[in-house]
Amino acid sequence: MSAILVYISTTGGKIKRSSLEVLSHCRDQATKNNMELAAVVLDNDAAAFADQLQQYGARKVYTVSNPIFKSHLNAPVTQALLQIIEQVNPRVFACASTEGTKDVLGALAAKTGGAALPDVANFEVTADGVSALRPVMAAKILSQNTASGELVLVSVRSGSYDATESPTVADVTDVAFTPADFAAVLREVISSTGDKVDLSEATVVVAAGRGIKDEEGKKLIDDLAETLGAAVGASRAVVENGLFPATAQIGQTGKVVSPELYFAIGISGAVQHTAGMSNSKVIVAINKDGDAPIFQMASYGLVGDLYKILPLLTEEIRKAKSA
Amino acid sequence: MKFTVCIKQVPDVYAPLQIKNGELSMDTDRMVLNAYDASAVEEALVLTEQHGGDVEVVLIGPDKAKETIRKALAMGAAKGHHIHVEDTHGLDSAAYASILTAFFEKNPTEVIATGKQSQDTDSGLAGSMIAASLNLPYAANAVGLHIDGGSSLVVKRQGDTGQEMLALPIPCLVTCSNDMNNPRIPSLKGIMASKKKPVETHTLEDLGLSLATVRDSVKTSTISYQEMPAREAGKKLEGDAEELVSSLMNLLQNEAKVI
Ligand SMILES: Cc1cc2nc3c(=O)[nH]c(=O)nc-3n(C[C@H](O)[C@H](O)[C@H](O)COP(=O)(O)OP(=O)(O)OC[C@H]3O[C@@H](n4cnc5c(N)ncnc54)[C@H](O)[C@@H]3O)c2cc1C
Repeated sequence: MSAILVYISTTGGKIKRSSLEVLSHCRDQATKNNMELAAVVLDNDAAAFADQLQQYGARKVYTVSNPIFKSHLNAPVTQALLQIIEQVNPRVFACASTEGTKDVLGALAAKTGGAALPDVANFEVTADGVSALRPVMAAKILSQNTASGELVLVSVRSGSYDATESPTVADVTDVAFTPADFAAVLREVISSTGDKVDLSEATVVVAAGRGIKDEEGKKLIDDLAETLGAAVGASRAVVENGLFPATAQIGQTGKVVSPELYFAIGISGAVQHTAGMSNSKVIVAINKDGDAPIFQMASYGLVGDLYKILPLLTEEIRKAKSA
Repeated sequence: MKFTVCIKQVPDVYAPLQIKNGELSMDTDRMVLNAYDASAVEEALVLTEQHGGDVEVVLIGPDKAKETIRKALAMGAAKGHHIHVEDTHGLDSAAYASILTAFFEKNPTEVIATGKQSQDTDSGLAGSMIAASLNLPYAANAVGLHIDGGSSLVVKRQGDTGQEMLALPIPCLVTCSNDMNNPRIPSLKGIMASKKKPVETHTLEDLGLSLATVRDSVKTSTISYQEMPAREAGKKLEGDAEELVSSLMNLLQNEAKVI
């Protein structure tokens, strides 16, 4: 039986929600096409995730445990994935689109001779390959793509599918792995501190734009986010001026998010920003310019000064939450 | 240190786009240097200004795309390589990567730099494909570069939860984010000087390829294009801050039911 192999990304001792979304979708695709669902996880302690992967329906689980996977490095990740691909010989290799998988997808395609469809919004396994929809032109346009051949590699934008459980019992294989000597040296990992809620997994995002001018404005954002239990996002403008960390950037260069509730605060709504957030369920925009493009996509648009609105809004939400 | 930057000519995102029967048509007069590649050119220029060396650029495309090579030369690159393919229609990342791999096998360099993605397709594959084919160490999504002692390139790359500092031995490849810098606008002097700078033309045959072999390396195809379904604008509220907040609270609690 041919297989779909899902590469599972972990962060801080947890499987990323976006990986579970991809796994859930691949389970449906495997059933439809009479294929086997396999998952591979690379981590310092990969075996710890085997149970959860069975909860989501993986029939074969490959765990590759090695301390090298404590931090991201493309060479050992590529080496390990090539080893598993060789072993499983899947028709489709799928993963969530993250900075980690973006770093290796092209290399995997080149080394395996497989076809790559990156950052898709949805995909279907077909008789001879994969058919997928990808946002292009700063997400103004969708392109319908196909890939055929013995192996197709797909990465999926977060929030494209729901993560749903379907428990099964899997064959779990602990794979022996010896990292080759590789040339790159990891000197330092600089973590963004203070990210209390992971942006790409958050159900509520409070995003700041150039309308936030100073530390005082930043505090208004942080207070609102804290009251809501939300992750803090940012436009490029306020990452560039150093008010917000680069990990908070949402958009074409930054992350793609699709929360239940998105606050665009002092953000004009440039296409390169909306490319990363237009799939949010409810969008609240606060902007003093009534003609700002963000209002064309906002569920609720507030025309006014954010410095006046935010303190009141945070207070009202606090009251509502404690009621 | 010698940098060779792979650059691409792409449509201006603000140019009007039209979709007819699934085909995308755009204004071919509004083609620009891919923003991410511009950042790669800028960073290579800054590093060679500080440490010595040369910046060359290489572009695959029709004759018209030479204007984008001129743009990079006007920014300060010393030489352009034009790999002439008049009809790039249907070529995917794998095909572009196979051409560039053949180019670098014949024209070795110390650092290959590319944009982290092209702003039209956002694929972000070509860089790591070329590195893997040439067996070069690489890093994707660089937000900072510096040269350490002449034998390695130190790359700060933006990861999912933070940044990683990597030292790559030379030769190596790096893909650049536009968060790295703000590319310079060419000066009049730069534009004048660019006209005298050399642009070497390479045919696919010069690189040991042909259009047929390149088309064979294509792995994916675009079947059709469609408009992104537009979100509908919802309610726009005006008034003083108190009114705005109380209306919003009401909507979030009772209509959207998200609070
Ligand atoms: C290749 C490329 C990739 C890019 N990638 C990204 C990306 O990933 N993410 C991204 O965000 N951008 C990206 N950009 C940049 C993008 O084009 C915009 O420049 C950027 O999104 C603008 O950010 P902004 O909305 O915060 O700022 P602005 O466009 O300056 O908007 C600020 C808004 O704040 C409002 N405002 C000001 N003061 C107040 C106040 N007191 N109260 C209420 N409202 C106020 C103003 O009315 C205005 O609408 C990219 C650009 C390029 C070329």
